[in-house]
Amino acid sequence: MATPTSLPETARRSYWGNVWSTIKSTAVGMGITFRYLWSKPFTVQYPDEKLTTDERYRGIHYLEQDLCICCNACAKACPIDCIEMEATRHGKELEWHQFDLDYQKCMFCELCVYPCPKDCIHMGKEYALVTEDRGTLNMDLLTWQGLTEEQKVRIAEAEAKKAAKKAAKEAAAKKKAEQENREEA
Amino acid sequence: MKPLTIIASALPEAPVSEAAAPQGNGLTEMLAGWLPESVPFWGLTLMASGLAFGVIMAFVSVVAMFSTWLERKVAGHIQIRLGPMRVGGWHGWAQAIADGVKLLIKEDIILASADRPLFKLAPALVLGTAISTFVVLPFAPGVMIADVHLGIFFVIAISSVTTIGVIMAGWGSNNKWSVYGAMREAAQVASYEIPLGLSLMPPVIYYGSFSLLEATQAQSGWFGMHWYILDPSVMLVSVPSFVLFFVATLAETKRAPFDLPESESELVAGFHTEYSGIRFSFFFMEEYAAMFVMSAIATVLWFGGWNFLGLAALEGIPVLYTTACMLVFIVKSMLLVFVMMWVRWTLPRLRIDQVMILGYKYLTPLCLIVVFAASLLEYLRFVLSN
Ligand code: SF4
Ligand code: SF4
Repeated sequence: MATPTSLPETARRSYWGNVWSTIKSTAVGMGITFRYLWSKPFTVQYPDEKLTTDERYRGIHYLEQDLCICCNACAKACPIDCIEMEATRHGKELEWHQFDLDYQKCMFCELCVYPCPKDCIHMGKEYALVTEDRGTLNMDLLTWQGLTEEQKVRIAEAEAKKAAKKAAKEAAAKKKAEQENREEA
Repeated sequence: MKPLTIIASALPEAPVSEAAAPQGNGLTEMLAGWLPESVPFWGLTLMASGLAFGVIMAFVSVVAMFSTWLERKVAGHIQIRLGPMRVGGWHGWAQAIADGVKLLIKEDIILASADRPLFKLAPALVLGTAISTFVVLPFAPGVMIADVHLGIFFVIAISSVTTIGVIMAGWGSNNKWSVYGAMREAAQVASYEIPLGLSLMPPVIYYGSFSLLEATQAQSGWFGMHWYILDPSVMLVSVPSFVLFFVATLAETKRAPFDLPESESELVAGFHTEYSGIRFSFFFMEEYAAMFVMSAIATVLWFGGWNFLGLAALEGIPVLYTTACMLVFIVKSMLLVFVMMWVRWTLPRLRIDQVMILGYKYLTPLCLIVVFAASLLEYLRFVLSN
């Protein structure tokens, strides 16, 4: 009896066809798993070894603090306001108090990176954010707090320069005034 | 060996030899040699039973532990991952011990709504039956607890008692999923018992005996390579009968693709959903013990038992010979256990109707054909050899 061709292929097979296809498909499947059994595992022993991340991977940010000018452009660009920063200006030098990034909120969208005028905030490679305390997720990206010795030196230099300039100006003004006084006299 | 009278002669003989006057086996005789004469026979039997139980229990624990570790490693590597790697240093070898300790110290929970006697008895019954099948396994010449004349029947009969334990566990748990699991187990075992028993017939016809020891001794020719499955004159039936037996064993031991009784994605964990701690580990041990026993039976009947190429050369050194034979036997059985694991991690679970179709429409008729072919072949061999 001819079997109707509208039936699915599995239903059209004969008894021995079923037996054969079972044996064959099992053998093929077991061949595949046997090959997998001896292939090199894809996973690594995580805390000991780590997989290398892609070039474009977006992990925990890092900040080149010496370049940053505390312009707030990154904080404004962030759609969820994760970034908070604070610094005192000493002329050209910045005394950093805070540059916090809250990873409880951050979605690693990289939008904070593009607007930076100094190109000093980047997406890093580090991704392990496991913690027992949520507070630690509000991370401080600063490498140092306050003023460094070099900055202090530079500030002192700048101030000395300024003072010298001022002194020179004052001296010049004094000279001028004296001259004027003499002329009047 | 007259082929046509084999079954007729094998059956009635057994009860006669069993019913003969109290006759000790090797163990009781060994104990009698060590102990003073005054120890009565029942005392010796009791001691021998205790000793045998202890040895088997220790062996089963080690086998179960090794198998869980192997299972996890095989599963891992088939899925291209590593499996347990930390506990104990080398490839997580102590993982199974850690798991065992964890199971031992876990709280043993018995539901308030459970049927307490059934719930408590079930794991013991399941493990007990699994252990008692070890009694007839011929590990090496002289290393065998009892040479039961109907050894193969004994194993098949005893191992299906496990089903009763599983049904007790499922019913006693007072849980829908458990009862479903138990029902599936009952349906599955009842259906697969037939092909399982039938697929054992070709080797039985070939050896003319139900005794596992005689089967092993019959395969000692050809420098230890005269295995049933390698004998070209019967290969036409030995290979298919082994495949059928293997499929039936998978169903009998509740292994994937026939793990419907515990199918964790549908029934939580099936019949042992409500078990925890040591009782749960009993079910676990039973599974691996049953796998080992079934593989051991296949080893004895198809793969030459303890025989291996050139092993008979060691016969002069008794201790070495016995150890080597045991090693060969255990390695062969473990290889079959490995194949079971390999199948588990290859095939998806069948649906219950597919299980039934496979059992009744395919395995049973195929087994009948193979048994018929084996009888015919044996008759031809008999005619030709005369
Ligand atoms: S990555 Fe996105 S969410 Fe995270 S701080 Fe930058 S802008 Fe905000
Ligand atoms: S945009 Fe760049 S320079 Fe401006 S505050 Fe952010 S990191 Fe600093």
